Amino acid sequence: MVTELFDLRPVLAPLVSALCALGIVLLGHHERWRIALSLAAAVVKFALVWSMLPATLSGTVFVFNAGEILPGLPFAFRVDALGMFFALVSSTLWVLTTIYAIAYMRGSHALRRFFGFFALCISTTVAIAFAENLLTLFIFYELLTLCTYPLVIHSGTLKARRAGRRYLAYTLSGGAALLAGMALLYHLTGSLSLSQPGLVDPATPPKTLLILFVLLIGGFAVKAAVMPLHAWLPSAMVAPTPVSALLHAVAVVKAGSFGLLRVIYNVFGVNLLASLGYTAVLAVIAALTIIVASLMALRQDVIKLRLAWSTISQLSYIVLAACLLTPLAALAAVIHIANQAFAKITLFFVAGAIEKRTGKTRVSELDGLGQIMPWTMGACTIACLSFMGVPLLAGFITKWYLSAGALAAGMPIYVAVMMLSALLNATYWLPIIYRAYFKPCPDPSLSREEPEILLLGPILACAAYVVLLGIGAQAPAMPFALAESAVNFAFGLELSRP
Amino acid sequence: MSAAVHLLPLSVVLPITAGVLAPALFHRRHNACSWWAITAAALTLATTLTLVSEALDGGLVRYPVGGWPAPYGIELVFDGLGILMGSAAGLLTLLILIASRAFVQTEATPQRHSLFHGLVLINLGGMNGFLAASDLFNLFVFMEVFSISAYALVALARGPVAALAALKYLIVGAVSSMLVLLAIALLHAQTGSLNMSDIGDRLAAAQAPAAAGLALGCLVVGFLVKAAVFPLHFWLPDAHASAPSPVSALLSGLVVKMGIVGLIRTRMLFAEADIFSLVALDLLLVWLGVAAIVIGAVLAMIQRELKLMLAYSTVTNMGYIALGLGLATPAAVGGALAHMGFHALIKTGLFLSAGALVLSTGLSRIDDLRGLAQRMPVSSAALTLALLAVAGLPPTAGFVGKWQIALGALEAGQPWLIAVVMSGALLTLAWAIRIINSLYFLPPARGQVLTADEAPLSIRAPILMLGLVAMVGGLAGAMVLEWIEPLSFRILEAGHGH
Repeated sequence: MVTELFDLRPVLAPLVSALCALGIVLLGHHERWRIALSLAAAVVKFALVWSMLPATLSGTVFVFNAGEILPGLPFAFRVDALGMFFALVSSTLWVLTTIYAIAYMRGSHALRRFFGFFALCISTTVAIAFAENLLTLFIFYELLTLCTYPLVIHSGTLKARRAGRRYLAYTLSGGAALLAGMALLYHLTGSLSLSQPGLVDPATPPKTLLILFVLLIGGFAVKAAVMPLHAWLPSAMVAPTPVSALLHAVAVVKAGSFGLLRVIYNVFGVNLLASLGYTAVLAVIAALTIIVASLMALRQDVIKLRLAWSTISQLSYIVLAACLLTPLAALAAVIHIANQAFAKITLFFVAGAIEKRTGKTRVSELDGLGQIMPWTMGACTIACLSFMGVPLLAGFITKWYLSAGALAAGMPIYVAVMMLSALLNATYWLPIIYRAYFKPCPDPSLSREEPEILLLGPILACAAYVVLLGIGAQAPAMPFALAESAVNFAFGLELSRP
Repeated sequence: MSAAVHLLPLSVVLPITAGVLAPALFHRRHNACSWWAITAAALTLATTLTLVSEALDGGLVRYPVGGWPAPYGIELVFDGLGILMGSAAGLLTLLILIASRAFVQTEATPQRHSLFHGLVLINLGGMNGFLAASDLFNLFVFMEVFSISAYALVALARGPVAALAALKYLIVGAVSSMLVLLAIALLHAQTGSLNMSDIGDRLAAAQAPAAAGLALGCLVVGFLVKAAVFPLHFWLPDAHASAPSPVSALLSGLVVKMGIVGLIRTRMLFAEADIFSLVALDLLLVWLGVAAIVIGAVLAMIQRELKLMLAYSTVTNMGYIALGLGLATPAAVGGALAHMGFHALIKTGLFLSAGALVLSTGLSRIDDLRGLAQRMPVSSAALTLALLAVAGLPPTAGFVGKWQIALGALEAGQPWLIAVVMSGALLTLAWAIRIINSLYFLPPARGQVLTADEAPLSIRAPILMLGLVAMVGGLAGAMVLEWIEPLSFRILEAGHGH
């Protein structure tokens, strides 16, 4: 049974990084302070989030309510299973990315700004995860947009500024749609709470419901990069690699996906959506995004761009899985938040490490790197295989449950989509592995040397996690159990293994 | 009659007396004059705040002048508008006077320092009187007090533009005052009374719809000019942009809001008279509001001068207020009233912080201010926070009004207006981000920027305070809406109570 318990941790977890950002603004000219603050905040937040895990798994929901912002709309946090899952993934990856960023960004300009906003971003991400209602979520969703902007245009070049402008144009317009949807939702229900499996009254006229659905889903779909709202993501790759890694593989894009899940499971509810049928259309759009983005990824030679298009494709797995409205598919939707994040961040880290070590940024330049950076490329191989859906790796779990969920929903066509996507993934990841291991290195001056330990450590940790998520998914302390309890809540099921 | 009631006339008499004495006592003694004005404003604020607490406890505070009861005698009334705008006027005038210590030395000739302080105090007294007036004659007198002091304040700036702008402002203002006076004469001729609620009662019996209609038209046009509601805003940009920055803050933050106060009083008077439907007036306000929001934001976007952008943004925001009043639903009117107070705060912060940048560099075009955040971090941060607030991102102070007005559009069955509310916010963000980009992310283009010094503490403290309050003011939305609920109730219920 769900018991609600007042606790400070739901608000402390985001606050830690916000305080860290403040500290960096005040003390950040000294490198030592910057590093100490960033690391300390990352570890403290990690500990705070993980300390809530056992209670969350046993059905306790921590809540924090700071009073009403607007009539009927409190500023409140509530740690349910879905939010906990997202927070767990982001706070774990923040620790690794912080370590990586400290090494990667050494010697760059405006580091105070960089690390300050970096901390703010993660602060807002955890707040999004724990938000009790859409207004609280939206506040941090918009803050996340603004905090990412200085990171996207960090280099200050014309290209970066253009990318930043495009990023803001897309995400802020999405935010406006979202806000309109929220106003409509509040007008209809008098609440924006996310604490129930379905807020909307099923008796509402279908035309109104359709508008509500389009506004809310459309608003979140921008950050989730569902086509045709995806164009900001590839151009935002001008950002430094740690930003692309944490924000454009985890925090920002997953905030969009997480919002979509909230709309589907907590605002509309699976039962209402099943009778309305809007999700069938969204599923088609998501399937198209999966295929088309994969085809685009195939054409990219720049590694980061290939990763960006792959992200677009992978994010739509979550959307597609959520739209199938079966418990098994929902499980795929939730765990893919973690599965994609760990694998994609491994690849971003690898791309950054290769660039730091050798200056190479293109797939066609990777010949022979397997001999030069064996550990790095080993991690890269694991992540690539995971995306292809090789069993015993994280990506397989998603594909398995998504396919099972599609069959349960009576839509085998999406199993075919999964197969096709796996095939396409193979066609754009395998060349990297092939070049790295089976082609000789054209540059004899490159000696065998791994990147420094602060870069390599996070890479290996992430790759290890990809394996762990693949083989140990059902182990009790893993986030998988959280995903299960999130799905059970959304579908009104009792705790039972699917 | 409790003792606190006597504070009501004091809140009018004190600043006006202090203002009249200032030039006589402190000619050419800038420092002493500044402290005199600050003390007077602080005492006025204390007076107003005592009245606010009185009014929040026990409803309206009434003061029959000379002990003669209304409608035979003159009565001053401190109601919701006093709570909202009286406290805003007291607080913001105080902050403006503190910041003016540095501004006035550069922006006005030494002979005019004492004049400046005197006029600001007289302006404050005029506004307080206008808010408390319950009869048309005093309404007119106090309107002239704050209007004429405002014309003179604009003319205090150096340079030919200011003189011309002040002349334009004077002519337009005089015409609008004449219209109001004409309406008062018409109403007095029909009813033999000047007390507003008394006129409301008697007008129905007077059986002269033509004269009443003419009076309504004159009052509406007159106050729309004072409120700078599109298309009667044409005098505003020059006057507000060319005035000394503290005066711009005063005019854009507070003085234009008095036009809205006049409109509200007019609407209540005619709703009580109940001789004709006010639907046409509401419709007019809605459409003018829509036009003002969009056109004001577009015009702000194409400006190159920082202060002109801010001046056009006032046009947009007066549009929001007009739209909210015109929608005439509880949420929308509450939102419009809340936005009056919040926008006063934001716009004061904007003009003072923008003024700080202009003061230190002597540059006013945003392209010339590039890279200034390096040299003036506090002023730039304050401006940035206020810019985010004026765009209405949550949880800023600007969000409350927009949210409530969007809800009001739904209540009124006009959901398309949400699109207008949102597009106004997005357009505002577009130019706000241009300013932020220029300050933070572009390399300096002018030598003055490289040598600029941060503003003195007397400017930094008020603008940082205003910036922070603007940024998180929305969190107090529920509280402010609760304070003004009786007022919005009275605005909507006037005429229905009989």
